[in-house]
Amino acid sequence: MRSKFDQQLALLHRELITMGALCEKAIGLSAKALDEGDQKKAGEVFDYTVQIDQKERDIEALCMRLLLQQQPVAKDLRVISSALKMVTDMERIGDNSGDIAEIVTMGHITAEHDKMNIRDMALATIKMVTDSIDAFVKNDMELAKAVIAYDDVVDGYFNRIKTALIEALGDHNADGEYALDLLMIAKYFERMGDHATNIAQWVLFSILGRHEDDERSKETGR
Amino acid sequence: MTKRIFRSICLVAMGVFVASAALFLAVLYDYFGGVQRKQLQMQTKLAAQAVANEGISYFDGLDTAEYRITWIGADGEVLYDNRSDSGEMENHLEREEIREALAGDLGESSRYSVTLMERALYCAKELPDGSVIRLSVSQNTLLTLLWGMMQPICVIVVIAVVLSLALASRLSRRIVKPLNELDLETPLSNEGYDELSPLLHRIDSQQRQIRFQKEELEQKQKEFDAVTENMTEGIILLNTKGNVLGINRAAKQLFETDGSCIGQHLLSVNRSTQISDLLSSAETGLHDEKMIDLSDGRYQLILNPVKYGEILSGSVLLAINVTEKEKSEQMRREFTANVSHELKTPLQTIAGSAELLAAGIVKEEDREEFYNRIQGEARRMIRLVNDIIRLSRLDEGADSMKREKVDLFALAEDTLQFLSVEAENAHVVMTLDGEPAFMEGIPQLLQSIILNLCDNAIKYNRDQGSVSVMVKKGTDEVILSVSDTGIGIPEEHQNRIFERFYRVDKSRSKELGGTGLGLSIVKHAVRLHHGKIRLQSREHVGTAITVMFPVL
Repeated sequence: MRSKFDQQLALLHRELITMGALCEKAIGLSAKALDEGDQKKAGEVFDYTVQIDQKERDIEALCMRLLLQQQPVAKDLRVISSALKMVTDMERIGDNSGDIAEIVTMGHITAEHDKMNIRDMALATIKMVTDSIDAFVKNDMELAKAVIAYDDVVDGYFNRIKTALIEALGDHNADGEYALDLLMIAKYFERMGDHATNIAQWVLFSILGRHEDDERSKETGR
Repeated sequence: MTKRIFRSICLVAMGVFVASAALFLAVLYDYFGGVQRKQLQMQTKLAAQAVANEGISYFDGLDTAEYRITWIGADGEVLYDNRSDSGEMENHLEREEIREALAGDLGESSRYSVTLMERALYCAKELPDGSVIRLSVSQNTLLTLLWGMMQPICVIVVIAVVLSLALASRLSRRIVKPLNELDLETPLSNEGYDELSPLLHRIDSQQRQIRFQKEELEQKQKEFDAVTENMTEGIILLNTKGNVLGINRAAKQLFETDGSCIGQHLLSVNRSTQISDLLSSAETGLHDEKMIDLSDGRYQLILNPVKYGEILSGSVLLAINVTEKEKSEQMRREFTANVSHELKTPLQTIAGSAELLAAGIVKEEDREEFYNRIQGEARRMIRLVNDIIRLSRLDEGADSMKREKVDLFALAEDTLQFLSVEAENAHVVMTLDGEPAFMEGIPQLLQSIILNLCDNAIKYNRDQGSVSVMVKKGTDEVILSVSDTGIGIPEEHQNRIFERFYRVDKSRSKELGGTGLGLSIVKHAVRLHHGKIRLQSREHVGTAITVMFPVL
């Protein structure tokens, strides 16, 4: 009985890794499509978002089955419940990648455009997503904490891009549609950073059995 | 085992005890029965005598607690009974013992007395007057006797049981003790039961066999590890689920992991789509290949299923670095494209000029120039084709060419002679220094090395420049150096000039009739002689190329 449960848990782990890899692919591809203004690459992103959605449903079904049939307790329960939450965040990352790809397919953005710091922001976000999934795969608490801390960097990029866009619009030397698209893209990247942070938090939860926030608020006596 | 022995001993002891007690009681019962009968007979005879003598008055003073005495008349009527009222008793003539007594002898029977409601033993004797005196004794007395013996018997039973329990437990423990103390690590050192020795010998031989096989396995594992550890290709062994069973050093480096990944799923090591595709074909037991870009280049991943008969027992993943292979493939492709291009350019000039001439468009005074141009381009093509042929021969290797003892100095002298006209035209002074230096080599190739180097030195020289060739004999090498006072090679081009068709300044090279293959031929020829090339060059100052050949 237990050995079957262990097998199913291993399967869950594998499925989550696969889904994480798909997310990495999706965000990497959408960033590349954006950088090169490549509509064909942007189209490929949608294939990945479809796959990610399917994976999410598969993993959810697997988790439900495990919860019902095995009635897990303690760490097993934590692992399964955090898996359930993690897939939601991963699925959102896939969706956001799809959203960026959609903006690229509109054709307003081309390779020649000056995209401000958006490439750096994309790289920072990709790093966050990769690291959060790495933290999950290796059960690495330090890496998970590093991901959570790195969210500030991505937020910083977003604020800078926003300020730069406001200035450009104020000086009337920017195409309004393009500026809004760029802002949306920056926002999507920022959202993906948040989702990566969530994944890292769920990794911590599955190891520790409590949220880091709780710990922090306890320490400060709030 | 102790329990079993204990139980058996207990059971046997108790069984024996119960059986002997029963037997003893049965014999005793029988004996007492006999004694009782004899006594009854004797008493009957005595009573008969007494009654015959004294009549009924005998009964008056009789104290008979033990016996029941009945006097029965000849007609069967009960005349007297000491236990019940004789008047109420029925006729006894039909009783077995009475009939027997009347027949003449002592009558005996053992039956259930209706009168006294108990089992009784009867004995009767006829008196001379035809009446019968009968004595009976209750058999209960016998049982009472036995019952009386029960108490001591019970005590004996309890003592026997307790004793047998104690003895059985001690005995069984004694029997099992040597078995418990068997030293199975060294089976032959045990003393004790002879019956065990075949078993112990068997254990010993099996232990030796196991030890031997274990050593053999360890040895094989070590050999396997040693072989795989030193392979440059990465090897990962997987079980059917895709968990890592073994990984060699190269693979660890490639996938940036350490020994901790053993036992984990391969996806935790690398989650790229190629790996997950490979794993899904591993599950179905299919051979598969994928290309993957890792940190230090492009790798070909080959997955081979491992099958025992029809059963899939895992798979082996090989990672082979194909960066170099792909690079050389690309170079070959470029070479083909370059060759076609280089051949096409002069052909076009020739074809164009010939067409114009044939159409008669060219003026009489210009014809000379057209002829010259056709001739020049044709010569260039021949040179190019010759160079290509030479290169392809070098590619094939020097097996077909004969090696002999060559004086490099003499060769250089010949070559300089050959180039003297060209040098004069270019206003370049050529000098040769050094000494005769013999080495093992292929003369045609050595000549083409010197020729190409000197030709370049002349072509890319300045007006009134100089080329100095030097041949020197070292301890175990022959050194050829060609230095010029020419235009030099810019640093960024220096590591590429030995590539085929690579030119620093394309327009200038064509003007001078270069094919772009000269230095490539030099490189190959030097390599075939196991030599080394050193290039020193400064732009606008000059170039010195030194070739060192081992003497062999």
